[in-house]
Amino acid sequence: MDILMPQLGETVAEGTVTNWYKQVGDSVRADEALFDVETDKVSTEVPSPVSGVLAEVLVPAGQTVKVGTRLAVVRGANEQAAPAGGAAPSHAPAQAAAGVHAPASQVRSLRLEADVAARSEKRKLSPVVRRLLAQHGLSAAGIQGSGRDGRVMRDDVLAHIGRAGSTQPAAAAAASPSPAPLPAAPAVAQATTDSSMCGAGERVVPLNSIRRRSAAAMARAWQSVPHVLQAIEADYSRIESARRSKGPAWQAREGYELTYLPFLAWATCQALLRYEQLNARIDGDRLIVSRRVHLGIAVDLAHDGLVVPVIRDAQDRTLSALGREIRRLAVGARGNKLTPDDFSQPSYTISNSGVFGTLITAPIVNPPQVAILSTDGVAKRAVVVASDDGDSLAIRPVGVLAQSFDHRAVDGAYSAAFLKELKRLIETRAWSDDLP
Amino acid sequence: MAELTYRDAVAAGIAQEMERDERVVLLGEDIGAAGGVFKATVGLFERFGPRRVRDTPISEQAIIGAAMGAAMTGLRPIAEIMFSDFFGVCWDMIANEIAKTRYMTNGQVALPLVIRTANGAGSRFGAQHSQSVENWAMAVPGLKVVAPSSPADVKGLIAAAVRDPDPVIVFEHKSLYSVKGEVPDGEALDALGAAKVLRTGKDCTIAALALMVPRAMEAAERLQAEHGIECEVIDVRSLVPLDTRTIMGSVVKTARLFTVEENPRLCGWGAEVASLVAEECFWDLDAPIVRITTPHVPLPAADSLEDATIPSVERIVDTVQRAMG
Repeated sequence: MDILMPQLGETVAEGTVTNWYKQVGDSVRADEALFDVETDKVSTEVPSPVSGVLAEVLVPAGQTVKVGTRLAVVRGANEQAAPAGGAAPSHAPAQAAAGVHAPASQVRSLRLEADVAARSEKRKLSPVVRRLLAQHGLSAAGIQGSGRDGRVMRDDVLAHIGRAGSTQPAAAAAASPSPAPLPAAPAVAQATTDSSMCGAGERVVPLNSIRRRSAAAMARAWQSVPHVLQAIEADYSRIESARRSKGPAWQAREGYELTYLPFLAWATCQALLRYEQLNARIDGDRLIVSRRVHLGIAVDLAHDGLVVPVIRDAQDRTLSALGREIRRLAVGARGNKLTPDDFSQPSYTISNSGVFGTLITAPIVNPPQVAILSTDGVAKRAVVVASDDGDSLAIRPVGVLAQSFDHRAVDGAYSAAFLKELKRLIETRAWSDDLP
Repeated sequence: MAELTYRDAVAAGIAQEMERDERVVLLGEDIGAAGGVFKATVGLFERFGPRRVRDTPISEQAIIGAAMGAAMTGLRPIAEIMFSDFFGVCWDMIANEIAKTRYMTNGQVALPLVIRTANGAGSRFGAQHSQSVENWAMAVPGLKVVAPSSPADVKGLIAAAVRDPDPVIVFEHKSLYSVKGEVPDGEALDALGAAKVLRTGKDCTIAALALMVPRAMEAAERLQAEHGIECEVIDVRSLVPLDTRTIMGSVVKTARLFTVEENPRLCGWGAEVASLVAEECFWDLDAPIVRITTPHVPLPAADSLEDATIPSVERIVDTVQRAMG
């Protein structure tokens, strides 16, 4: 039976085989882990659909191929060895149809990359093993496990350290209360954690896989995109009033607080429909503009990385629907419960630092997107209210909306017009009518 | 060095303390002329006379109450409760009065008394005369609790219990009374709150108490011989105070912990040890902590059924070997 690259979500076109759990000749049971696949956002363990012997591996670990590509052949007990056809990785749909597609439902335990480090060794790591790996900047991947099912045990790590003559932090394994260890050490060994680099009072914090990936992407974006930051101040009185009048019922009905973000997401979508060149992607010397807003929402993982799940077709959703979707994505992201579809390419992104009460944030555009909005803290301020009877002072909730944009895509006036529209929506819409 | 049975070592420990301090008195059911139903007080009545070795009516509450009053008024009584199961009728006095008196009187009244009792299974005495209730006593603030596993330990710990200024419960084990062991000559005085490493090993730690100690030792022999697993065996000896330093030091070394407990599983002493180790030594553990215990059932009287409930050498070997495999 052919094993094919599974469809890990509707919007995912390709995947990277990161690890084979079996070697050619090994027997494998149905539902036993066969290989790991990594897409641009998610890593997943794929079980064998049948019991048999792994007869061929056509795509070695590390290679990225399209969905449906033949990856391997598992031969059942009664199957004859097929004549070897020099079968190279192929994208032929016919083969895809003939083979067995691991359906998404069969793909177990989707998890975010943060977990990949620990999981890619496939084996469970005990607390002491995790601590030793973190202290020595090692990955379990290169360590031969002597425990049941090949599990890496403490003695395996100690033996590995002994052989490698690695710089051992003084009496790391000695009988002393252990320091709070780092999260599971990254699988990729290039993260330099040699503790000899440390001075007094310093320690090595290996970057987890999410942070390593975003580090590379951010550096690339910063170097390649000519950024311009523009900010506008908005009066949130009407949103505040809607939250006051409808918030308690929302809280009672939905079980969580009605925050500013759904309002801002709704207004952003509407403003983007008018200023669609900000809802676009750069493709060489072309700008591909979309009428569909796939709105990325940056979610902080407890200061341990940042992910950007996406609300598909956000322009079509009601305020309530946006509120629910934002909640689902935030909770799901923090609980590693999201699927690859939740991480499809956004067309525009909102980064919300407001909960921390920030004044203004200059976010980095993530290409091929051309703009990103930061929503900062909302605080009561004295504002001048102009009227025909003269100016007066009022206390109003005010916050800054800051957009970074790619100056190759649009100019400042265009961005400013978008911000003005956003401000107009926030300040004038009868928000209470949008909520039950 | 003399070889004594556990029961003779009990009597020797009591005699040593009665000889040393005339305030030490012994009271209980059939402990006098009869020498105790388990023959653990043989010779004391003859040696110290009926004023200091008193037979009491069959009333555990009277025994404990008298001991408490005696301790309050300057004696250092040793009260025997024939079967530890009978603590059931004593708890108000033990848990609410004896354990609390020093605290509630702001230290003005101390109760330097010892309650000895025959604990545990192995004699086919059924549900009401076979229980291991050390975990009951361990749960009461204000009590010290020891459960010696050898003749030398029982003698030394009885002496330490008598000399302690506060109430101490000594759990002797019915199935250990006939066990012989070397007991050093001369005065025996052990320390409360100290565990003992009886066997060193690098692969795992087995913490055991009382009758479970010799079983753990035998299991460790077999694990070494048959499976090449080197177990470190700790005799916990004292539940309160608990020698966490010795237990955790061993776990840090071996990264694995097994407890072998005769008390029923729910809230057995090993649960407390496991909880402490999980909290304090989490980052030193290489596998889950495993408890080997009597199940949470009333004990059966039938030989085969009682044997099936109490952790046996085979069960210890099997459990450790499977967990380590």
